[in-house]
Amino acid sequence: MKKLVTGALMTAFAATGAQAADDVTLQLKWVTQAQFAGYYVAAAKGFYEAEGLNVTILPGGPDVAPTQVIAGGGADVVVDWMPSALAAREKGLALVNIAQPFKSSGMMLTCLKESGITTPADFAGKTLGVWFGGNEYPFLNWMSSLGLKTDGSEGGVTVLKQGFNVDPLLQKQAACVSTMTYNEYWQVIDAGLTPDDLVTFKYEDQGVATLEDGLYVMEDKLSDPAFADKMVRFVRASMKGWKEAEANPDEAAMIVLDNDETGAQTEAHQKRMMGEIAKLTAGSNGALDEADYQRTVEKLLAGGSDPVISKAPEGAWSHAITDLALK
Amino acid sequence: MIWLWGALAFWVAAVALNAALARRAARYPVLRLVVPAVFGVTLLVVWEGVVRGLGVSPVILPPPSAVGARLVGSLPVLWGDFVQTFLKGALSGYVIGCGAAVAVAIAIDRSVFLQRGLLPVGNFVAALPIVGIAPIMVMWFGFDWHSKAAVVVVMVFFPVLVNTVAGLKATEAMQRDLMATYSASYGQTLRKLRLPAAMPFIFNGLKIAATLALIGAIVAEFFGSPTRGMGFRITAEIGKLGLDMIWATIAVAALAGSAFYGAIALIERAVTFWHPSQRN
Repeated sequence: MKKLVTGALMTAFAATGAQAADDVTLQLKWVTQAQFAGYYVAAAKGFYEAEGLNVTILPGGPDVAPTQVIAGGGADVVVDWMPSALAAREKGLALVNIAQPFKSSGMMLTCLKESGITTPADFAGKTLGVWFGGNEYPFLNWMSSLGLKTDGSEGGVTVLKQGFNVDPLLQKQAACVSTMTYNEYWQVIDAGLTPDDLVTFKYEDQGVATLEDGLYVMEDKLSDPAFADKMVRFVRASMKGWKEAEANPDEAAMIVLDNDETGAQTEAHQKRMMGEIAKLTAGSNGALDEADYQRTVEKLLAGGSDPVISKAPEGAWSHAITDLALK
Repeated sequence: MIWLWGALAFWVAAVALNAALARRAARYPVLRLVVPAVFGVTLLVVWEGVVRGLGVSPVILPPPSAVGARLVGSLPVLWGDFVQTFLKGALSGYVIGCGAAVAVAIAIDRSVFLQRGLLPVGNFVAALPIVGIAPIMVMWFGFDWHSKAAVVVVMVFFPVLVNTVAGLKATEAMQRDLMATYSASYGQTLRKLRLPAAMPFIFNGLKIAATLALIGAIVAEFFGSPTRGMGFRITAEIGKLGLDMIWATIAVAALAGSAFYGAIALIERAVTFWHPSQRN
């Protein structure tokens, strides 16, 4: 049925010829950087235009919660991490994952070797830096699976709400801090520490990785065939942009730099970031892998005393868009 | 729809009631407290009615009943945040900052050199944005409440300093001359004449600083904190879309801020009872 509707719409577009482009607003999870290169490449290379879309990309930042933006109608589609999207869904904001360009998680805990940590079992009694505002769930989950308390009680870990930098590690206020493989880890290296000084634990390797950087829309809008068709074209063009960025990381980094209105990003940093991002998007054609989804949900449900979500979500993802977009 | 019309009807009735009460306030002083209370209740009822009537999503604006339920249900958490942010961070920063400002103001008053040199520096410090200072203070004093207190010290220092310096200049030459004829020392003149005369000014600064202190402590927590505190709660809950908890925290902050301001105003009334502005 959906195919029929989309087909009819396509014919309608073809028949009317030069139609005004459809507007799509995308809210990013963070500031303009290579983490979102696929979307900027798709825009710069005219992939969106070719699909009859006029895409506005809104950069995020520490004070922007994508879920809140889409709830307020400020965006059609947002980039978000699945834990925060599912938590929002349980709170009554029906978000649906329509595509998952990131296959792997880039999150890790970076520790100073001198703190004596060699395995996760050594975390007890240490201070660990964590990002909050929706990014804390995988961490809390990991700690509860290790049996470590995070409320500051004896035998557990002390949690420090870390700003979006690595200062607590450099100043030795924390034994470990949260880093992304493509960003903060390199800030530590740039600050003068060598990989030999550090021990890193990738969430992916610890089996607690949750899905990052998926595309989410509101469920009720998805039932509108015109909107669904827009999203099909948006996802198709975006994935084309992602694969292009993966293949030409340096060029993609330069496109990102051109789009950085703040001028805060540097060429070397973005090229390095794009190289790391390409590792995370590799292996995803944009369609959500059900097994990855199941793993994420299990992790979030098993949050100990304070689970992120209390029951398995229904209809939190859909292949309807990617099935059409990737055919 | 019934909620919307109900809210509208309640609003009209409450405004009429308030108007009637206000007319009688001259005769019954107790009504002066009833009128703002009725206004506050009206605001809450209209908020509840509009949110329910228009079906506003709770992640945009939760109804006050949900906020109230969350407030009551999370009292231990909110109390922990209050102790961390208000009692430890804001209050200690406030005491240190205001104390230092008054001391420095007296030093400035004694020395022309400091007057020329220190006031501009104070001005400069006051112009530093909190988002710039907060991460630096976290670096210097660690992520616990000490760094929040340091941010508060920086924030409250200047308004109190400027007001105290102005206050110390408030006495007239004739009054100071009189003290001189008594052969009073600088310290005696300061204690008996100039500080009392400066009190209305100092309290002005203290009242401005009272509201700044809480804001400073909360915002500073955005830049690194342990897992408690009002600023922490707000940033952590926004990711979960726990808007009811955020509003509950805001309610606590507003109550604490108002009570703090009120306490300073009461002390002011007791200390500067002689001032024309305090006489009825």
